[in-house]
Amino acid sequence: MNESAAAPKSALSFEVQRQVRKSLTGRIKTGAVSRSGMAVKVTVMVLLALSLLAFFTFDYKDIDFADAVRGTLTNAATLFAEPRLKYSTATAVLYQLFVTFCLGILSTILGAVIAFFGALLCARNISDPRVSAVVKSVVAFVRAVPTILWVLIFAVTAGLGSVAAVSGLTFHSAGYLIKAYAESIEEMDYGTIEALKASGAGFWQIVFQAVLPSSISYMLAWTFMRFEINFTNAIAMGAAAGAGGIGYNLFMAGYFYFDLHEMGYLTYVIVLAVILLETAATKIKAKVK
Amino acid sequence: MPVLELRNVSKTYNNTTRALHDVSVTVEEGEFVSIIGPSGAGKSTLLRSVNRLVDATRGVVILDGQDITRVRGKELRRVRTKTGMIFQHYNLVNRLSVMENVLHGRLGHKSTFSGALGLYTEREKEQAFFILERLGLTEQAYKRCDELSGGQKQRVGIARALMQEPKLILCDEPIASLDPNASKIIMDYLRDINKTMKITCLLNLHQVDVAIKYSERIIGLTAGRVTYDGPAQKLDKKTIYEIYQSNEGELITDMKE
Ligand SMILES: Nc1ncnc2c1ncn2[C@@H]1O[C@H](COP(=O)(O)OP(=O)(O)OP(=O)(O)O)[C@@H](O)[C@H]1O
Ligand SMILES: [Mg+2]
Repeated sequence: MNESAAAPKSALSFEVQRQVRKSLTGRIKTGAVSRSGMAVKVTVMVLLALSLLAFFTFDYKDIDFADAVRGTLTNAATLFAEPRLKYSTATAVLYQLFVTFCLGILSTILGAVIAFFGALLCARNISDPRVSAVVKSVVAFVRAVPTILWVLIFAVTAGLGSVAAVSGLTFHSAGYLIKAYAESIEEMDYGTIEALKASGAGFWQIVFQAVLPSSISYMLAWTFMRFEINFTNAIAMGAAAGAGGIGYNLFMAGYFYFDLHEMGYLTYVIVLAVILLETAATKIKAKVK
Repeated sequence: MPVLELRNVSKTYNNTTRALHDVSVTVEEGEFVSIIGPSGAGKSTLLRSVNRLVDATRGVVILDGQDITRVRGKELRRVRTKTGMIFQHYNLVNRLSVMENVLHGRLGHKSTFSGALGLYTEREKEQAFFILERLGLTEQAYKRCDELSGGQKQRVGIARALMQEPKLILCDEPIASLDPNASKIIMDYLRDINKTMKITCLLNLHQVDVAIKYSERIIGLTAGRVTYDGPAQKLDKKTIYEIYQSNEGELITDMKE
């Protein structure tokens, strides 16, 4: 019997030693050579330094730190320990929640339909490379501008309200979903597309017979994820853009009535709704293979 | 009349890589022809120029008596229905059933609308079952393709090609991912299709012994040029070494003797 084949018989030769990379503790490294690890470290250090600097250089005026903390805690206690409705009823709140839900659904569906066709132009394996590059950069721009800004831009023509909110949400959703859908499509093996092409199938036949069946489950998962985002965005739009829904109630309770009890109640309703949504989304995602 | 004729076909990728150099090949109806040659010799390029997945830089491709070198759009789709293609990695839509994949062979014959929605006639579905039975896949008909073994997937690939009712079947390394057993089954089916259905077969193969055993004729391709074109029996060792540009004893096939 030999000894274990893996046991080194002698020391590594000089030429090999020169190639071996070691960590600070002298152990041999096995990972691929990359510069990104270093970049991550540097970024983290810089961010940490900036945070500390900011913390110490703020102008705190004459706020007493202990006082501020105490006040915040009392408010939080009122908010979360004594939820109570005063200016509206439970049914009204549920109805407003439903309105917000509908805003989210509407903008997600509109966005998804636009995104489906956009993704066909954007996915490199089925589109023209030049068209794809153009669509990709346009979409990157749309995504880079925050949703609230799009809503405000649409508000210039539509006025603040649900129309501007849905338009803005749809616009940003489309940008987000085009990228997600296109990546789902690009996951697909190009050979399959080529096989159908070789048999004489046309573009739309390939899209519906090969591309869609292969990527539909990813697309659905992304759509649900976007719906969750749109739902929370719709709450914010209710408050910030007067789009109605539960966000508007929250805005009124906080800004006009200054009623922490009512705000607490609304917050609980929203948290509950989001948790329910999240659970439903997870269930649905598990179902589509 | 030959099914396929390549006249002085050259292909240069990106103005730099020369994959085919002045290749002229004629394939008669009903022939079983294998192309052999080293990696990068241009075998796949040759096959793909026949169904226009690759456009020849120079020369003429004549399929079934029609110059197809420059056809486009609808006409290209019609021309492509005449050639079935079988791939090393099967290239099926894994999430769809065997039946759906086989029926994909009909897409080129159908209208955009009914093809996109997958509306097939009863006759087409019956034909699909007829082909599946022939390939011993009846029991797999409603399985998803990702549940199949490699050999079964390749048979689905063949079924899809047969569904086109092609004149010519192109096989790009049909057995390169299969074990010897499954390889034999696939090769036997291809031969059977060639003999009983009179469909011409043009194959790329890496296994010289398989090529010699199954084909009537062999084409040797070396660095984009045809270096042998003749009966399989006349392919001697010396020629094989020339095709693969290697010396005696270097090829893995040498180890058998
Ligand atoms: N799409 C492409 N773009 C650029 N060059 C390519 C492309 N396809 C093939 N080539 C080049 O053309 C030459 C021939 O390739 P081809 O795939 O036809 O060879 P092959 O004989 O099929 O090889 P293998 O046996 O490895 O499959 C190679 O040098 C290859 O790098
Ligand atoms: Mg090849």
